[in-house]
Amino acid sequence: MRGIRRFLPALFMLPASLSVTLFFVIPVFMTFVFSFTTMSSDTGILGSRYIVSEATIRTLKDGDLDAALVRQLDSRVFAVNEAGLAALRKSNLKPTVVKEIEEKLSGKVYASEKQLFAALKGLSNRPRSFKDRKMVSKAVVQTLKNREFTTPKEFRAGLASIGIEVTDDVFDVLLEVANTSWKWTTGNYSELMASDFTWKILANTAFYVVLTLFFNVGLALVLALVTFYMPSGQSKFFRAVWLIPRVSPSVIYIMLWRWLSFDGGFMSYILGFFGVQPENWLNEFPWTFVIMANGFVGASMGMIIFASAVVAIPADVLHAAEVDGAYPWQQVRRIILPLMAWPILFITTYQTLSLMTSFEYILLLTDGGPGFFTTEVWALNAYHTALSNYYGNLRYGFGATLAVVLVAVGIAMSLIYLRLFDFKKLVAEPQIEN
Amino acid sequence: MDDRKTNWPLTIFLLIISAPILIMYLWLFVDSVSEINTDSIWPTEFTLRNWRFLVEEIPGHGSVWTALFNTTVFASSVVAIVVILSSTAGYALSRLKFPYRSEFLGLVLLLHSFPSVTLIISIFLMLRMIGLFDTLIGVILVKASLELPFGIWIMKGFYDTVPWEIEMAGVQDGASRFQVWYKLVLPQIMPGIAALSIFSFMAGWSEFVLPLILAPSADMRLMSVYLAGLVNDDYLSDYGLFKAVGLFYIIPVMMFYLFTQDKLMNIYGGGTKG
Amino acid sequence: MTLKRLAMAVLAALLFAPLATQAAEIEIEVWAPADENERYRFVAISLAANVLNEELKIEGSDTRVVVKEGTSFGGSQGWAQLKQGFSLAVEAGKGPHIIVGGHEDIPVWGSAGLIYPIEDYIDLEAWPFSDLFPSLWPIMSWNGQVWGIPQDAESRPFFAWNPHLKAIGYSDADIAALPAKVKSGQYTLQNVLEDAKKIQDKGLVEKGYGFYPRATKGGDYWQFYAVQKGGDMYDAKSGKLILDKGALLAYYQFFNDAVFKYGVTKKNHLGMDWDQWYNEVATGKAGLWHGGTWHYARYTRREGLDDFFDKVMFSLIPSGGSGGKATTLTHPLTYLISKRAKGEEVELAARLITIASEPRLNTLHAIASAHLGITNAQTKVSQYADDRWTAEATVLLKSAFALPNSVDFGQYDTLVWKGLTAAWSGDLSPQQAVDTVVKEMQATMGDKVIIR
Repeated sequence: MRGIRRFLPALFMLPASLSVTLFFVIPVFMTFVFSFTTMSSDTGILGSRYIVSEATIRTLKDGDLDAALVRQLDSRVFAVNEAGLAALRKSNLKPTVVKEIEEKLSGKVYASEKQLFAALKGLSNRPRSFKDRKMVSKAVVQTLKNREFTTPKEFRAGLASIGIEVTDDVFDVLLEVANTSWKWTTGNYSELMASDFTWKILANTAFYVVLTLFFNVGLALVLALVTFYMPSGQSKFFRAVWLIPRVSPSVIYIMLWRWLSFDGGFMSYILGFFGVQPENWLNEFPWTFVIMANGFVGASMGMIIFASAVVAIPADVLHAAEVDGAYPWQQVRRIILPLMAWPILFITTYQTLSLMTSFEYILLLTDGGPGFFTTEVWALNAYHTALSNYYGNLRYGFGATLAVVLVAVGIAMSLIYLRLFDFKKLVAEPQIEN
Repeated sequence: MDDRKTNWPLTIFLLIISAPILIMYLWLFVDSVSEINTDSIWPTEFTLRNWRFLVEEIPGHGSVWTALFNTTVFASSVVAIVVILSSTAGYALSRLKFPYRSEFLGLVLLLHSFPSVTLIISIFLMLRMIGLFDTLIGVILVKASLELPFGIWIMKGFYDTVPWEIEMAGVQDGASRFQVWYKLVLPQIMPGIAALSIFSFMAGWSEFVLPLILAPSADMRLMSVYLAGLVNDDYLSDYGLFKAVGLFYIIPVMMFYLFTQDKLMNIYGGGTKG
Repeated sequence: MTLKRLAMAVLAALLFAPLATQAAEIEIEVWAPADENERYRFVAISLAANVLNEELKIEGSDTRVVVKEGTSFGGSQGWAQLKQGFSLAVEAGKGPHIIVGGHEDIPVWGSAGLIYPIEDYIDLEAWPFSDLFPSLWPIMSWNGQVWGIPQDAESRPFFAWNPHLKAIGYSDADIAALPAKVKSGQYTLQNVLEDAKKIQDKGLVEKGYGFYPRATKGGDYWQFYAVQKGGDMYDAKSGKLILDKGALLAYYQFFNDAVFKYGVTKKNHLGMDWDQWYNEVATGKAGLWHGGTWHYARYTRREGLDDFFDKVMFSLIPSGGSGGKATTLTHPLTYLISKRAKGEEVELAARLITIASEPRLNTLHAIASAHLGITNAQTKVSQYADDRWTAEATVLLKSAFALPNSVDFGQYDTLVWKGLTAAWSGDLSPQQAVDTVVKEMQATMGDKVIIR
């Protein structure tokens, strides 16, 4: 029994800690690490590759390596020698084929694969299929070009196999140029600072957060107060209605907004009665819809919190005010609102953070458009940079840099939030133990 | 305040500001069973044509039943993981003494309001390393892990309200802490477990971005990705079809919502994401 | 006794079971961007599997291929999703064996080691590739190797609504001569704006519908850079991208003029609904526009434009003025073999692609989706030759250009696109937009781009 008691906390904490660590805490650190890399979809994410390609040769030619060495790296000849023949004997080519190659082509050197294949065609026991011809070509080719190496050691062995011996300094240069995987850099941060687009997106984000906050905190207050002054049946109904957007899957909710605003949708139809041409109103007023769609969802949370805060106000305080002859409006202003300061602060800080970091609704509604970064906010830009490029080049490293900024803001906001709402009390020690 | 009378100006005012929601969801239902007339929003004729996706595949979009099945598995697994892990960890954090407890709690609180989607590339790497990329299990683990800090926090709150006397009595009767938890404390927080289950179910049922990125194969498609695919198809602008699929997709959520409104109000009031 | 007999029977069954089992089945999964007209991107591979399995039978091989038509990514957002999904999936050792990608994906995926150079697995000198339009090979190449097999070809013509042209004074003969005038450079983008304005002023179309460009982002917009003087994108010698400031300015100026000077294009046009767009251009609600060869399928089938050839004029994209030349973009999609395929799978995938490229099989896609074929022989396949659209539109291919295959293209394109949207919406003047793009490009891409 003692044993179990001792391990109980570990037993209870471990599964949750493990999964949170694995998919939450470690990713936070990794995001930070990635922000210092050039990682993108063309560098790949894991593993390194060393390839001498045409691009490598071009870079080397511009550099100050020995021209003869570069020529050697660039060379690609097909030499039927003993090593190649040995390889062919081990392959699953027919022995008769290999034998004839040995007899007739031994010692020959061809400048291109085409010439080699032409020579093979002249044999009577020739490799018939393309696959077999390729096998011969692979066995006798003397080149480094377009061969893939995964470690520096392999790369060095590759160099040696075509007779290239280089000093360590030169090898380091080659390694650097031939490496197609990502590299360490601080360039992402300087790019972020230097870019004009950064400011545009920052401004968008601020605009979006502030306006949506005003919209949904204001709306939440109005809803909480108005439903407070209603018969309970009605107030229940309205609160239920306002929770619907919240519980709806985002894809459906946004689809409905798009329906409401498109040319053949509800708004165009209603405005048609006033002689307004049907329009895609979402394209016309993108921000209005972005803010409304987010605000309608956000308002429900504020509404519930504010409503419970209003109910918690002692009834006699309100009654006293009523007896004094105060109108509901004065009651609201003089008694209710001052008592709501804390809930309002709570909702505001909370939603600032979540608005800053969420992008799902905007992604589905406008995808940052229409046009020039119109509704592109920071979190969405991080998503676009890292995971959605029209021509497929995803910049994981730079995307991570954008995410790090959000992570930093998120941590800062959370700390403020914890300070404000009395962290000490929240994490108070258990009252008794054993 | 039950004796309030209807204040007509207020009611009408509220009806007006609630109009977008009422209209959107009313027409979600109406359009799903009517012929769409492009010049008007009024239904002209009853039809079940929009529901054809139930019996035939919409070209290029796969079967809705696969998506439904995946979504069900996804949402229920997320519930199972979140509920089990939160109710153990929540208990430990609320009631047990162990090193770094307050640091743990601080971390939970911090993560609870954290920009989780921005971590997606790193999450991809984790999944890749353990070989779970492009599998339902992988996305389930990720989604559950991201929901956990919130779940733990909520469960801790519920445990905090359980009187210490119950446990004290149990311990004095010679039961182990584990037995006390299982037999005495857990029954006390059933409402909390119910609320968290409903909440995680809805969160799982609605999830869109994670499966979109972490499980791109058609076999893994969830309802959210299926519907988004339809809406974004340049060849379809059939709101009748979209709405029928949407209604089909939202029915379980709405059912839950209607029957468990009060519990949900509680948990949303407790503070959540979004 | 019976027990013994039973035991014998079981033993016999176990012993001979391997003989009775089916040949080894190997599954080949295909991913493609395909809307409802483009299903043959998948289906051609499935049909090829039938042939390949017969071939394998004849060769005495036990192997059989099963094709799995995997994820299809339709629609404008599907395009980016396909690429993201593929990159991540193959990186994790999953995803498809064959993917239909864009040719500009070759450098990115080749560099990341996600695809095989196809020239190592397919004899490009043999049928049907010996007959491929030669201009397609460079588009399939990168870093000195051929990586993909074109799945289709296409061009992106300029269109005009004939009845509107007539209403502003064109005769039938004028219209018939227009494509030639475009090609020779007599009819320029300047004339496009003027005619669009005339059409609009006559009240034939609504304001903002005179010139009605593509609804969303796409390679098409590079055409308006390429038709300008100096509008080159790639320097083959250094392997670097080129950004010509003069051409860029003219390109931005054109759209800025269309919106603000002539008012023939809507300021918030970009990002509009495709469905609406197709419907409008196919019903004469727009004056002049540009699109793709595959639009023909949409116009004539879905939108019911039966008399396309009477109603619509098509040509190259007109030149931007002196020093420029009329052209059109061809953006062939390409079959690529991913590194998900290992060993025998690579070879089987290569054979499937080879068979699917047979003229008759490839023609199915060409006709169904109104794309263009890839081989000379195809132009003689009756289904292709008898189709007026493919027959006439294939001619445009001769003056076509393609986007460069460069690892840096995605980033370069993103920046140039941002500049365009800024000039279009009036957030920046064309000159400011050019300056911003140039500055940004110098800062982020350094010497990867030659800015001149």
